[in-house]
Amino acid sequence: MDSSEVEFLAEKETVKIIPNFSLDRIYLIGGDLGPFNPGLPVDVPVWLALNLKQRQKCRIVPPAWMDVEKLEEMRELERKEDTFTPVPSPYYMELTKLLLNYASDNIPKADEIRTLVKDIWDTRIAKLRLSADSFISQLEAHAKLDNLTLMEINTIRAFLLDSLNCMYKLRSNLQPGSSKGQFTDY
Amino acid sequence: MSDALSDAGSDVNQDDAQEDVMTPAELIAKLEEAWLNEKFSPELLENKSEVVECVMEQLSHMDANLQRVKKGDAKASIHRMEIDRIRFVLSSYLRSRLRKIEKFFPHVLEREKSRGEGDPSLLSPEEFAFAKEYYANTETYLKAVALKRMPPNLQTVDMLKAVPEPCLDSFVFLRVKDRQENILVEPETDDQREYVVDLEEGSQHLMRYRTIAPLVSSGAVQLI
Repeated sequence: MDSSEVEFLAEKETVKIIPNFSLDRIYLIGGDLGPFNPGLPVDVPVWLALNLKQRQKCRIVPPAWMDVEKLEEMRELERKEDTFTPVPSPYYMELTKLLLNYASDNIPKADEIRTLVKDIWDTRIAKLRLSADSFISQLEAHAKLDNLTLMEINTIRAFLLDSLNCMYKLRSNLQPGSSKGQFTDY
Repeated sequence: MSDALSDAGSDVNQDDAQEDVMTPAELIAKLEEAWLNEKFSPELLENKSEVVECVMEQLSHMDANLQRVKKGDAKASIHRMEIDRIRFVLSSYLRSRLRKIEKFFPHVLEREKSRGEGDPSLLSPEEFAFAKEYYANTETYLKAVALKRMPPNLQTVDMLKAVPEPCLDSFVFLRVKDRQENILVEPETDDQREYVVDLEEGSQHLMRYRTIAPLVSSGAVQLI
C-alpha cells in the first residue's frame, strides 16, 4: 500500500472547523454535513476541512490531543514503556502532517508539536524494528500488534512480509518431501 | 440551484432502501472494506458486485444531479470532491482484482469451473469474460512466438502448471471485527509446537493468510 493511500484513509477522520461562510446542510453520499454558519464550529471530514482552509473559508480547530503538554506526556510514556502505548488517534502521524502543513497558523505551537510527534513516531518505529527482529529470529508464526497504527504497519509491511516469505521459501525447500516446498512465486 | 442538490441527497437516501436496508454511508464503508481486503489478500476474493453496482448507481445518480447545477456552486464542488474520492476507491478496488486475475488467471478460471451450483461466484460476469479472453490471448501469443516452432511433442503448455499459484502462506496484517476463539497457529519449524490463540475484538495481528482466510470472507476480520 502506498503511504498516500494511508493518508487518503486518514482524511476521512473528522475535525472541527469554524467556517466564515454560511451554507445549508449538504447531503453527501457518505453522510450529511453542516449546516455551516459563520463563527459556529462544525464537524467535517479532514479532506473538506483542508480544501476549505486552502480557499481561506474556515479556521481549523486542532484535535484535543494535538497539544504540547499532552504530547509531552505521551512521549515520556512511550519512552518508558517497552510495549506500544495507545495513541490518541489511529492516524496521529498523518493528521499531524496534514494539519501542520496546511493549517499551521491555526495550531498553537505548531513547531513544538511537529517535533513531539516526530519523537513519538521515532520511538515507536524503533520498537517496531526491534519486535520485527525478534519475531524473525524466534521464527514466530503469530504476533499481536495492538496499538499499532496503519501508517506504522505500512512502513514495515513490504520489507517484513517479503523477508518472511523468502525465509519461508528457503526453509520449506530445506525440508525435502514437504508438499509446501513447491514455491513458484518469484 | 441548491434545491437540485438537496433533492439529490434525499433521493439517494431512499434509493438505497431496496433489498437489504443499507445506508449509502454503510455502502461506502463496505466498499472500503472490500478494497483493503482485496489489496492485502494474496488470492482473489469473492466478487462484491452488488456493492460495486450500488456504488456506481449512487455515483451516476449524483453525477446526473450535478449536471443540472450551475458552475461555481459551493455545494456542487463539495459533492464533486466526494464523488472523486469514492471513484478512486472503486477503481483502485477493481484494478487490484484485475491485477490478480492477470497474475493467476488459470487458477482463477479453474476455481470458477469447479465451484458448486449454489456457491457464490468468484468473478463478476465482466471479470469472467476478461479472464477467459486473457487466457485465450496468452495461449495464442505463446503459440505464435514459440510453441509452433517447437518439436510436436512440446507444443502444448499446461497453463495451470506454468502460472504460479497464489501463495496462501504469506503473512498478512489483520484487525478483528468479531471475536474468534481457538484459532490454530501452525508452527514455523518442526521443533515448535502448534498452539491456539483467541482473537479479541478490535485487536490486531500478524499471521499467515491460510489460517484466517475463511474469516476474511465471512467478514469477521479485516485485512490491514
